[in-house]
Amino acid sequence: MQEPLRVVHYVNQFFGGIGGEEAANAEVSLADGAVGSGRALQQALGEQGIVSHTLICGDNTANDRQDDAMPAIETHLRTLQPEVLIAGPAFASGRYGLACAQVGKIAHALGIPAVAGMHPDNPGVADAMPNVYVVPTGETSADMQQALAAMTRLALQLGRGEELGPAEHEGYLPRGIRRVYDRQELGYKRALNMLVHKLKGEPIVTEVPIHAPEKVTPAAPIADLASATIAMVTTGGLVRKGNPDKQVSANATRYYRHSVAELRSLSGSDWEAYHAGYFNHIVNANPNYILPLNFLRDLEAAGVIGGVYEGIYALPGVSTPVAVSQMMGHSIAQDLQDAQVTGCLLVAT
Amino acid sequence: MISAIYNLALTTGANRVVRGSRIEHVCGDPNLGAEKDYAYGMRIVQTALDAICTPVTEPTLFDPLERAAELEVSHVS
Repeated sequence: MQEPLRVVHYVNQFFGGIGGEEAANAEVSLADGAVGSGRALQQALGEQGIVSHTLICGDNTANDRQDDAMPAIETHLRTLQPEVLIAGPAFASGRYGLACAQVGKIAHALGIPAVAGMHPDNPGVADAMPNVYVVPTGETSADMQQALAAMTRLALQLGRGEELGPAEHEGYLPRGIRRVYDRQELGYKRALNMLVHKLKGEPIVTEVPIHAPEKVTPAAPIADLASATIAMVTTGGLVRKGNPDKQVSANATRYYRHSVAELRSLSGSDWEAYHAGYFNHIVNANPNYILPLNFLRDLEAAGVIGGVYEGIYALPGVSTPVAVSQMMGHSIAQDLQDAQVTGCLLVAT
Repeated sequence: MISAIYNLALTTGANRVVRGSRIEHVCGDPNLGAEKDYAYGMRIVQTALDAICTPVTEPTLFDPLERAAELEVSHVS
């Protein structure tokens, strides 16, 4: 029989048995063996794996004091060198889910495969992708047994270095990674079969799922426009003339930030569009169509807005996967927040 | 967000969507001639500023054309 797999389990203060919300500021601690909900995990693993240690951290500590908590967790994982990390399940708990994602990413960076369990709407899911496998769970711990069964199955495979199949077969949330594989049957036959099933009122599983877009809480309105600093972002593919930064015209993986501190308008002799999704010649003659600097300068001079933020952000928004867009969007938003910008106009072609 | 494909922006969850002119010239319309082009672009940008000063609870369209009855805007292009 194979040696049991060495597993480290990450839990929050509640599932680690320290306490509820009042203990959410608990520091990172390490316990021998399985603790709290980890006992059920040990049962689910049976003889195939052993929870050697449990890492516990308060949800507030893991989120508000990441700079303290995550290095401590990394040090523990480096020392322990488990064959697989299991985090949670966090169910629908946002802070716990985000913590599981962080810890999973640290494990991944150390070469330790990581599995977490979360409700599909948990904000930690997006954070965990694509390097941490997330098993979908129910909203509450009523789903503990099922969640642990699915998580251990994946963890055992990963810990043994086995290659996982597609998400729909293995039972983890799709990570947005496509691989070529042979479906055995030709497309038209599969399409007709699907149609027949549909006509009979039988359940069908689409091969091209359309994901519902993320819901974002609207930002609060600006109270005083006359003192507001307004920034501009464009996905119209604005580049400096001649594209010296060598930005791509589609499927961008990064954006560029330029300064317009000294400019009152964008001129076609200094700027142009490089975007594979529309005819760029009109914008090339007047780049303000995709980044309305000239209008904002006039409104600034008239005292309608407080000022124009000096940084502008540009990329071609075409063929960009949602996950990459989210990454760039988060980064731009963070930048604007750090600069205490009040509002932002995003021009999308 | 100012976009000529404003329906797409709304269905994909952008919360404050301003109807832009056309994909090739979102903030204005060169076919209107310099003066009206500027007025149209300015109306779009002002609508966008109105939008970020307006509370919303879900994806909401702000249409500069609705707010600009006095503005003659053609859609030649």
